[in-house]
Amino acid sequence: MPEWLLKKDNYTPLKDKNSFIDKSILSIFNVLAMFRQQTKIRNSKFGINPLTKLISTLILIIFVSLSRNFHFIVITTVFMLVLINLLSIKEIKYVVKASMAAAIFTFIILLPAIFLGYSNNTLMITLKVLVSVASVSILTCTTQWNELIITLKIFRIPDIFILVLDITIKYIIILGEFSLNMVYALKLRSVGKNNHKSTALSGVVGTMFIKSKEMAEEMYGAMESRGFTGTYKVYTKFKFKLFDYICFILTIIFVLTYFYFDRL
Amino acid sequence: MIDIKDANYSYDAEVTALKNVNLHIDAGEAIALIGVNGSGKSTLMKLINGLIIADSGSYLFEGEEINNKKMQNEEFSKAFHKKVGFVFQNSDVQLFCSNVYDEIAFGPRQMGMDEEEVRKRVEDTLKLLKIEELRDRQPYHLSGGEKKKVSIATVVVLNPDVYIFDEPMNGLDPKTKRFLKEFMIAINNAGKTILCSTHDFEYVKGVFKRAIVFSSNHAIIRDGNYEEIMNDSDFLYDNNII
Repeated sequence: MPEWLLKKDNYTPLKDKNSFIDKSILSIFNVLAMFRQQTKIRNSKFGINPLTKLISTLILIIFVSLSRNFHFIVITTVFMLVLINLLSIKEIKYVVKASMAAAIFTFIILLPAIFLGYSNNTLMITLKVLVSVASVSILTCTTQWNELIITLKIFRIPDIFILVLDITIKYIIILGEFSLNMVYALKLRSVGKNNHKSTALSGVVGTMFIKSKEMAEEMYGAMESRGFTGTYKVYTKFKFKLFDYICFILTIIFVLTYFYFDRL
Repeated sequence: MIDIKDANYSYDAEVTALKNVNLHIDAGEAIALIGVNGSGKSTLMKLINGLIIADSGSYLFEGEEINNKKMQNEEFSKAFHKKVGFVFQNSDVQLFCSNVYDEIAFGPRQMGMDEEEVRKRVEDTLKLLKIEELRDRQPYHLSGGEKKKVSIATVVVLNPDVYIFDEPMNGLDPKTKRFLKEFMIAINNAGKTILCSTHDFEYVKGVFKRAIVFSSNHAIIRDGNYEEIMNDSDFLYDNNII
């Protein structure tokens, strides 16, 4: 046993700025929390299946974008507010945060147009962005990502592409947790002044790259051993219940409203 | 040395990981943390390391409360991390330098030691862990056992007062396990405090004097003499430990 290990170090840390480690930990934490939230199995309040939600959201976004009628946009905004009202507090926070951020950003970008006399258009575009972002946020916060990915099959997207997307999401979480632990380890060993911070961080990034390569090879090996030959079939069967039909009826009413205000 | 009172912790404010944990650890103790997977052992170790802060309750290290405010103070947090070493379950997460020498020298270089002193510490550590021949190897090309020894070396070189091992025996061959056991006994005899979670009871005989058992509902259900607990087969069986 070396002598220095048998006695306590009289050590006072040298001053250094290491806030980048804490910031990295915080940002990885946030991404992981978001993914955990997204992949959590949730009981949808009305049990509407993801395909219905995706189609309705797409129709809503398309017709809101096409519309030039202010009344129609206002009605859609009110409808969206009613929908948001049906969500849980956590979901409401998520939707409001995302849609308000997008709307405020759009409004600021369009601010000069107000001074040129296009105030109505500015308001309308801002509301359009608000409604579109809110509808996508409602879709993402009430639907698991793997379910959403499977619905892509309806749009004739190849099954192998769906598999790749599915695996990507899974590995973002796995690698995210790995990188979080790496940054934790870096933090625990950063006990003084580090003159080569970028070297340490590039080491973390390099190890992550090697790890992801190893994981990819291991997974391919595992898939091959289970009989994977390059083709993959996604099996889906969407069941339509009462609330799905109600959702479709509401979507049809929405489309009719568009034609009533915009085309008649 | 370590005093934890009524500590509770949950992940994402939903998943409970620690429930009403009360714990007192004296300097120089060697303690085994035992419990089923997901019972809260790793969370407790992260808490003791200051990587997470309890939602409620208190944690005192050498009489100083470890809380968010204290851990945001860089000087305090670095001095604290210097005293408490953590060996991760997955050695890969702990290694990020281009060769083993730099990996081990990472800590001492930060402590402001001159390069000669750093070299002496690194050489001593390499010798202690019997990995001198790995000096110039790249960490990511090492075997599992070698990576484990290097990751332990990165902690030893900082000369912490407390060593925390998160399931160190996982995936190691018997020879490396025996080496680790002897190593833990040696550092404990040198006055270091050891806290180690393990499921590998066969290879840790003689290391621990005390055992803390976690139940599947994240609470401590038994805290006592290691041998006594290990001999209580009914208790261990009922709690899914053997």
